[in-house]
Amino acid sequence: MEAVLRHLTNILELLAVSQTDHVSEWDRHTTLRGFQWAEYCEQLHSRFQCNPAVRSALESALSDTNQRLQQALPSCSPVMFSELAQCQHMLLIHLLTNPSAPNSVIPILFPDPKTAAQDSQFDQNSLITCKSAFNLLCRTSDRTSYAGLHVEAVVRGKLLGNLLNSVLSRTGNDEYARTLLDSILHDSAGKPESLYDVIAAALLSPDDETNSVVPHFILAWLQEHDGCLSKLCKSLSPGLCTVISRQSREFKQAYWGVLKQWASCLEFDVLEGLWVPTSDEPVTFIILTDRFKDLLHSGPPLKEETETELKTLKREAGDFNVKGICIWTDVIIQLKL
Amino acid sequence: MEAVSETDVQFWMAKVVNWGEATSCSALLDTSRHLGSLRSFLQQVLQGLQQMSSTSEAMKTFPFVGQFLGRLCWNPCVIADERSQRLLLRCLSCLYSAEPLNAVEQKANMWIKNMLCHLISEEEGSVAHATVKHAGLTPKRYHSEALQKVVSLMTEEVIKSCNGLPNTSARCSNGNIYVMSTACAALVTCPQMSPLIGALLKHSMLCGTSCLNQEFIKEVSEALIRLYLCVFCLSLLHSKRLVLEDEAVVNLWCYSPSCLEGAAVSLLESVLSDHETMTQSLDKHVNDSLLPQASADHCHIFLTVSEIYRNVLTEIDENLAVRALIQVFTVCFLQRLTGQKTQDRLPLRAFFPHVMPSLLPPLLTAPSEVPREAWLDHLIWIRSLLQSVMENEAGEDVRAYQAVFQAWFLLVQCGYWVDTAAELLVLAAPENAEPLLWLLTFFHHPTNRGHQRSQQTAEAREAWTHLRMLFLTRPPPPRHLSAVKELLSSSLSANLVLHLFLNFTVFSHGPVSIINEINDKVLTEAAVKRRALWILASIRCRLNSAATRDDRVHSRLRTLQDTLLQT
Repeated sequence: MEAVLRHLTNILELLAVSQTDHVSEWDRHTTLRGFQWAEYCEQLHSRFQCNPAVRSALESALSDTNQRLQQALPSCSPVMFSELAQCQHMLLIHLLTNPSAPNSVIPILFPDPKTAAQDSQFDQNSLITCKSAFNLLCRTSDRTSYAGLHVEAVVRGKLLGNLLNSVLSRTGNDEYARTLLDSILHDSAGKPESLYDVIAAALLSPDDETNSVVPHFILAWLQEHDGCLSKLCKSLSPGLCTVISRQSREFKQAYWGVLKQWASCLEFDVLEGLWVPTSDEPVTFIILTDRFKDLLHSGPPLKEETETELKTLKREAGDFNVKGICIWTDVIIQLKL
Repeated sequence: MEAVSETDVQFWMAKVVNWGEATSCSALLDTSRHLGSLRSFLQQVLQGLQQMSSTSEAMKTFPFVGQFLGRLCWNPCVIADERSQRLLLRCLSCLYSAEPLNAVEQKANMWIKNMLCHLISEEEGSVAHATVKHAGLTPKRYHSEALQKVVSLMTEEVIKSCNGLPNTSARCSNGNIYVMSTACAALVTCPQMSPLIGALLKHSMLCGTSCLNQEFIKEVSEALIRLYLCVFCLSLLHSKRLVLEDEAVVNLWCYSPSCLEGAAVSLLESVLSDHETMTQSLDKHVNDSLLPQASADHCHIFLTVSEIYRNVLTEIDENLAVRALIQVFTVCFLQRLTGQKTQDRLPLRAFFPHVMPSLLPPLLTAPSEVPREAWLDHLIWIRSLLQSVMENEAGEDVRAYQAVFQAWFLLVQCGYWVDTAAELLVLAAPENAEPLLWLLTFFHHPTNRGHQRSQQTAEAREAWTHLRMLFLTRPPPPRHLSAVKELLSSSLSANLVLHLFLNFTVFSHGPVSIINEINDKVLTEAAVKRRALWILASIRCRLNSAATRDDRVHSRLRTLQDTLLQT
């Protein structure tokens, strides 16, 4: 175990150095050794990804090393355990993006396709082909025919769902799964809407609908992050939310919760005779009713359940039948229930 | 010397600027239409770059190259095509300087590194980047799985739209099929694509209207032909594997006649190119080509393939390899036909429309289905039918000639009866030999060109007499040995004599040592040995489907083949 931790530290140092100008001293031999170490590292990840005990030992070693390296070389980025699966790729990217990398190193990493063996360690052809084939196909299928989601989101969501499923299938990995989602959220800060689409697909992903582990976990995670669930529901279309509600009871409950929360942000403006938003949340009465309309158009049993829920809410709020007092009354009137 | 012409450069630069990142349907369509010619141009550019001594020189000689290659790197339709991708990367590799001498070269290096980075990774901050980064897999595995998933989703979509099309007159409701097939034109050689390609081809079968992109069809058929050549020629060096389900291949043939022709011609070419392997396992290779099965299921496929091979035979008259192929193909086809359900079966007449109908029953019944004692009578029957066809030839009328030719072609297709006649001649009594010799002569010399028929018949009889003496007398008389050798080298009936000779070798009852001795003395020339192998191939195929197995004969055949292959 000690040896493993030492190796891990070495890799991190290697990765850090590859981002600095010390890399100018690397020669062919060093570079190839570097990739060998990186490959070893990838094997470590795959062996221990789902093993909580060993993984947490590795994670703390990583954390220590990251801290140490940050102090010595502030420009280099910390490495998370999940990233170790792509160690060779990371190293390659560092070498490509670091201006100090020796010029002689690149041809080693991108050998002439004609002379290089098909399965050589540095053959990028199948990666490039698969990646662009995937992009190309995603473009041609721009009709949103998967519950309103774009096919790229569906695929990424399914893959994410599979990942979470395999991680969560062993006990003791909840924290790690949470870290994964946190990291993904952090790293896609640029475009949260696209991420929400992927998460929606992940919620829909289990092929076996009785498997609720992944949806349950994702919902719990969403609820831990302040406002995340609400943002997700806002970003997804009414139709999509309905589809997910049909498939997952938990999501249905959570969704209703969000809708209730939105409803509480609306106030009746007596002068205008309308329900208007009071907070920064851009939710209007129309948006709210549209959401419920979609739920009611979905068919049994969701239709009946939603009707019952609305009637219950109206009753609990005083059972008014006049407009302008209770939002639920008005919603029901609007939807002609 | 200019490696690339200025007009070409202008044309392609305009194209790549127009295509951009191929986000619009029309850009995608245009790219896929030009992929083939783009590859040729890239090849020229590559050759030009390879002759440069430095990057600076390259940039001076080909000032467009940076922009050109750069823009192509952003076009996924081009990158996804493996061959274009390789050419592109090789061009970039040429422009990279391991030891840059000036600012231009350094800048070029940086630019190339950026391109490479872009090709292998996603934009930072995007969801794509984030999901790949933390996926717990190498990017290669991730994208391979992603590709598989998107293919299966899209395949399902296509299959679903197929289910709404029971009849061929229904208009294709899914306009997306066309766009999908356009994208697939670049991707035919990607192995993960085959389910989608298969589904698209099947859809086209049901849809009836041409809703598939023509480039796609062309690429698929070209890739399939390359695959056939690979499989048969056993050279996987430059193979681009396209693995389709059998049903999809047959759908492609139904959809594209040129593709079917290509397949038939490839089978022929591959058979002709490798006699050593082919003569050993001709029936297996013919079956592997899927043509027999497809022919049994679709009458028009059989008719097309027969037509092609018939035309070939008129061009290269005496080619034994082609005849062996035709014979084996027909046998495999007939076997598949009998495997069909009775209610699905078309009458045989449909498959052989041009030939006199009375010829069909005797010829299309295999020798294995007729008791051995009845073979002679059966062959006499065949001979009399053929003779009646020939009697009409006397008028030298074109139609009469055609009738003879068609009858003869049917005999070639059902060559197992000719082989049977040759086998019977080994042990036949002289009074029974005449019809058998007639058949053999007709088979090898269908036309009465130069009115040589009587001479040919005489030669046949003479050969037979010598062979009987040679194989029945011990020790083999030198006089007959040299007579046989003489006949084999004279061009008029060489094949007929060889045919007879080999049957004697395989089927006569003498001791093995004597027979080997005779063989060694007679079969000396390489050309003769090659022709012998083809004749043995058809004998072997007939014996494989025989009712009973004669081990002695099989081992003779085996030994003879081995000897012929050794030298």
